[in-house]
Amino acid sequence: MYAPRPLQVAARRCFPILLLAFLGACAGPRAAVVLLPNQDGSTGAIEISNEAGSQIADKPNQVVRVTSKETKPQQPAVITETEISKEWGPVLRVSPLGPKTFHMYFQFGTDELTLESQNQFPRIFEELKRYPAAELSIVGHTDRAGAAELNAALSLKRAKSTLRRLVEAGLKHSRVEVESHGENNPLIPTADGVAEPRNRRVEVTIR
Amino acid sequence: MRFLVSILTVLVLSLQPSYAQDSRVALVKVLEGSAFAIQSGERQELRVGQQIFRQDVVETASGTVGLTFRDGSRISIGPNSRIVFKEFQYSPNEGKFAFLISIVKGTMQYISGVIAKLAPGSVKIETPVATVAVRGTRLLIKVGG
Repeated sequence: MYAPRPLQVAARRCFPILLLAFLGACAGPRAAVVLLPNQDGSTGAIEISNEAGSQIADKPNQVVRVTSKETKPQQPAVITETEISKEWGPVLRVSPLGPKTFHMYFQFGTDELTLESQNQFPRIFEELKRYPAAELSIVGHTDRAGAAELNAALSLKRAKSTLRRLVEAGLKHSRVEVESHGENNPLIPTADGVAEPRNRRVEVTIR
Repeated sequence: MRFLVSILTVLVLSLQPSYAQDSRVALVKVLEGSAFAIQSGERQELRVGQQIFRQDVVETASGTVGLTFRDGSRISIGPNSRIVFKEFQYSPNEGKFAFLISIVKGTMQYISGVIAKLAPGSVKIETPVATVAVRGTRLLIKVGG
């Protein structure tokens, strides 16, 4: 009588398991990256890369898929709004509000806010109410004319003075930070040494 | 003796001012259902207003969560996801920037902030199969399935 050898039995029993393991490996970590247009209508760019190569996406709703670390990311393709909301609907529902920035300007060489700037306070207080766990950052900026240290000192003084005025106007807030970024974050980029009054501002940002 | 030394080491480490190198990264702003953070080895349920620090991990099961970073970058995290907040530095006055998060599984949205504007090369999002370098933009990622 024919009796199957133990090895054959093992192979027959294991085959489905091996098949599952193989499929599992194929299904295993992979990724899809979608470039969305910005809220202002423009579109940025992203580069997706791994050890096998890279792809650049720079058009709205392009998707780049990657099947494994050892396989080059696929050519960008366009994905439909339906597919986007199917895969990412829950994610898109919990986007935090974007930051809102107010520009404060000062009387020349002083830390006295212009009247126009002070008139924005009620709008700042209104906006603060819209943000859950609102944070307020008050940052002084300078232009690139004159000595950097003097500019930085004045811009910090202006930021602090803005906070003082806001508190006098009724600001009650625990999440406030006050600092100076000097000339490193200009509104209007210029060469060094250039006077640009629009860059000498304090930014009050709610996020 | 060795035990005593390790206790002292822990004490000395914990006495260092936690903001010396400002490890604050982001704040929880939007929450639907529950989401969790693993902070210094402890898992806890997130609340709106909770601070996320460098090296923290955020996990969801059925819930979703939206966070805003200190530079105004935002991410929202879908269900069944796991995100590691690897590196973050926002020091415009020193010109130092870093932004590195890792999505291990699940879905997320990223919307760029000031770091992507001032130092476009420094924003990176890792996935298990590729790294995404971001230049001022809004994007979605899905890992797995």
